[in-house]
Amino acid sequence: MQIEILKKSYAEVHFIVRGVSPRFMNSLRRAMMADVPVMAVDDVYIVENTSVMYDEVLAHRLGLIPLKTDLDYYVLPEECGCGSETGCHKCSAVLVLNVEGRENGVTVVYSKDLKPHEANPEVKPVNEKIPIVKLAPGQRIKLEAYARLGKAIKHAKWSPVVRCTYKYYPVILIVDSKCTGCGLCIDVCHKNVFTLKSGKAYVVNQLECDLCDECVDRCAQNALNVDFDKNSLIFFLETTGSLPAWKVLSEACRILKLKSEAFLKQLNELGVV
Amino acid sequence: MGIVPIRCFTCGSIIGDKWEEFKRRVDAGENPGKVLDDLGVKRYCCRSMLISHVEIIDDLLKYFMVGRSISNE
Repeated sequence: MQIEILKKSYAEVHFIVRGVSPRFMNSLRRAMMADVPVMAVDDVYIVENTSVMYDEVLAHRLGLIPLKTDLDYYVLPEECGCGSETGCHKCSAVLVLNVEGRENGVTVVYSKDLKPHEANPEVKPVNEKIPIVKLAPGQRIKLEAYARLGKAIKHAKWSPVVRCTYKYYPVILIVDSKCTGCGLCIDVCHKNVFTLKSGKAYVVNQLECDLCDECVDRCAQNALNVDFDKNSLIFFLETTGSLPAWKVLSEACRILKLKSEAFLKQLNELGVV
Repeated sequence: MGIVPIRCFTCGSIIGDKWEEFKRRVDAGENPGKVLDDLGVKRYCCRSMLISHVEIIDDLLKYFMVGRSISNE
């Protein structure tokens, strides 16, 4: 297995993996999407809500706001031994929203108004500028939100990833002796894979190709062939910002490993292996 | 409720925070496609969320404010 990083930032990692089967990468992809826990608002205690938005819609919107997650400190509620309904400091974090509409004009309630309780200052919205609701003068919202770790198997709000996909590594061949430089493939390609170089088609953005075969169908000279490398994949990972992309990757690998080990242990106990 | 969705319905990326700038710049006459490029909204699922959104909550609030001024009189 050989990995080549194409792009790396806090919320994004793009890489090429060579010498790996799609089956393996798919299990990793699914672990990233549904098994890596993140923080999200789970229970909301609404003290007052005179806005035009129903309580349940408001609670739903709060749930969708991604929160900064510390996986080293917090544990999943079902794995916490506290037995408390609202949770203890290890399995839940409290956020407070208390806003009243200004006397003149419309007041926009932003995610930055969702303030973390002083006991858990680090659990705060990833983005400060998400509008939650708008208030007319005199309207008021007062609530307490309980954030917990959770997995996206239960609800999509707990998914750490936004884009988590892979595609085959494209291999494009141009037979120079057949190519007349008509430019049809350049016109038809929506990913701008080709360019014209000294009267012949030439591949410039090979990785952008999404194997649609439109250029192959249009080429009257049969000078083109688009294929893919079965054992090389290009992986695109983008997170919501609640966890850095590298952390999602490493956590998914760790969870897959734990699962395999638990499986092997059972097989051992049953005397199969 | 007629307020901008927090996440893209299809992919789940955060688009709510980009609405205000998008609206302001498009109202000022900029090309919506270019504004979306500037805001880093790449996928067409997210782009359609912002392009097709209508902020109805502003109208709902007007009813509330009219009702309030009548009851104050």
